Amino acid sequence: MNNCSAALGLTEGMGRLFRRLLPWPFEFQQLETTLSTARQPVQPSPESESKQEDAHEEGEERYGLIIQGVKDYAIFLVDAEGHIRTWNAGAEAIKGYTPREAIGRHISMFYTPEDQAAGRPARLFSTAAQEGRVEDEGWRVRKDGTRFWADVVITALRDKDGKLQGFSKVTRDLTARREAEEALRQSELRFRLLVQSVKEYAIFMLDPRGHVASWNAGAARIKGYAPEEIIGQHFSRFYPPEEATSGKCAWELEVALAEGRFEEEGWRVRKDGTRFWANVVIQPVRDSEGRHIGFAKVTRDLTERRKAEEERLRLAQAQEAVRLRDEFLSIASHELKTPLSAIQLQLQSLLHGAKDLEPKLRNKAERAFRGGERLTQLVEALLDVSRIATGRFSLTLETCDLGRTVEEVVERFREQASRDGCELTLRLEENVTGEWDRLRLEQVVTNLLSNALRYAAGTPVELAVRAEGDHAVLTVSDQGPGIPESEWERIFARFERAASMRHYGGMGLGLYVSRQIVEGHGGTISIEAVKPQGARFIVTLPRSPRKGAGPDASAEAEVAR
Amino acid sequence: MNRHKVMVVEDDAEIREALLEILEENGCDAVGAVNGERALAYLRSTDSLPCLILLDLMMPIMDGHAFREAQLQDPVLSRIPVVVVSAYRDVQTNAEKLNAATFIRKPPRIEELVSAIEQHC
Repeated sequence: MNNCSAALGLTEGMGRLFRRLLPWPFEFQQLETTLSTARQPVQPSPESESKQEDAHEEGEERYGLIIQGVKDYAIFLVDAEGHIRTWNAGAEAIKGYTPREAIGRHISMFYTPEDQAAGRPARLFSTAAQEGRVEDEGWRVRKDGTRFWADVVITALRDKDGKLQGFSKVTRDLTARREAEEALRQSELRFRLLVQSVKEYAIFMLDPRGHVASWNAGAARIKGYAPEEIIGQHFSRFYPPEEATSGKCAWELEVALAEGRFEEEGWRVRKDGTRFWANVVIQPVRDSEGRHIGFAKVTRDLTERRKAEEERLRLAQAQEAVRLRDEFLSIASHELKTPLSAIQLQLQSLLHGAKDLEPKLRNKAERAFRGGERLTQLVEALLDVSRIATGRFSLTLETCDLGRTVEEVVERFREQASRDGCELTLRLEENVTGEWDRLRLEQVVTNLLSNALRYAAGTPVELAVRAEGDHAVLTVSDQGPGIPESEWERIFARFERAASMRHYGGMGLGLYVSRQIVEGHGGTISIEAVKPQGARFIVTLPRSPRKGAGPDASAEAEVAR
Repeated sequence: MNRHKVMVVEDDAEIREALLEILEENGCDAVGAVNGERALAYLRSTDSLPCLILLDLMMPIMDGHAFREAQLQDPVLSRIPVVVVSAYRDVQTNAEKLNAATFIRKPPRIEELVSAIEQHC
């Protein structure tokens, strides 16, 4: 190469430049193969022409061809005044001028009007003349007027006496690289902004010894420190005191460095001293040459999630407890029925078998039997509640007459009503029939009537049944103390009674079960006040289950809770 | 009036004894069995079949369902009507499944027992 440079009469600077610019052996071989087809004569400058020696002509021609063939670099010579003297393929490719268009023109045509106005071309050449070489990056203009970002090296060419002969100019089009660099810069900026703005995660850097080096919005939010308060501080201050001093922090960094990652869930401490349950990931960060420059630390506040998990667990435990209770209720009430059946059978046997029973004894046996019946109803109600709670409450629909059902129930209560001093009045329309569970409706009527007798003892009670379009309406009205409007909603809830426990007995399950039965039929149950005093329960039932109980109403309508 | 013979299949001794007494008091010949297996054994060995069987559902060894299944497969015994007597709330559904004559919910009332006997014997 040095020989070639010497042969061409180029300065050492120029030789270095070519060494830097050309992947020599490759370009050379490539050019050798195309010598025959790529013979573009070099436009020699008159000054250098005079210095050529015959022995070097072949070398010079080859070298000229190499430069001529280079496509990625514009390589050309200009005279001392700045006029173009040679033009290679790269110059044509980058700038768009053919050799004929370019040679002889002044170099300033490649500069933007602003640069021209600022005298930039002259300044660059002056610097090159003084210092031997100048390098510049900036916008240049193509023949078609478009601009490209160029790296330009201008080298002064001097003869053996040091007289300035001209300049070599090597220009690279860096537009693509500049765009890539700009894109990368933008991408890094965006990424930095992204990390900065993330609020859900604390994302920050530690230096190799564990001091905080950066701090994002999430870190500020979760840990409570402003960036200026924490940058430079050791990350051990995020740990509870017992861990901060136990060497755990250093160990975590060691693990991260050795294994590429450290992750754990544990308690961390905020600036205000409160603790939070955190997921922490620490990863070592290395530069492009593999040097360890610190750690990336990502911390999530899992306190809410942990709370939610604990809440879910508590809920599951509560549900299991409820399920066990309902199961127990079901088994217990079933078990209760066996001895109850034996007692009731014996009492009935006593009452039926001995017609000549002493009246006082008979009276006692009757009361015992009635007590047994009430106990039976309570056990049934308990069973119903457990069935409703476990979704095993079902209706068996058949055609029945609501008026008849009411009559049958009333017959059973005649005796009790007269004991309680309640005059029973019936206002029953004929043929109010529908598709209902007859036994369940009996239960509703029984419940409403026994409530009226109990809470409105001594006043008249009226039961009425009427048809209203495709619905049947049952009302049970009393003239007792009535029920305050504020209690109307509550009264149908499980285990609630409007009357206070001190004044009335009973378990308050009846209305809850009644509402489930009525709603299971697709109906409604409500209360209204009776003037001047009293309460009226109103039950409406769709007469056809398809209209009321939904499209899938069948003989077995499930009442799910 | 001929005394009707009624069988009570019931595992609980108190209930079984009470039912037997009540049936006797109401003019029936009553015979008891503690489970389905004993009932079948009795029915297959006796010369005088009952005109009605009062059948509990939940019993050890052989429950009411299994008894009814076996009974229905026996051409002689299958003709005896069965009244299901159970504490189950859905005794009606069970009775229908077993093709029973009717059902009585526990605790039974004497009127229901008498009515069932009058109707089916």
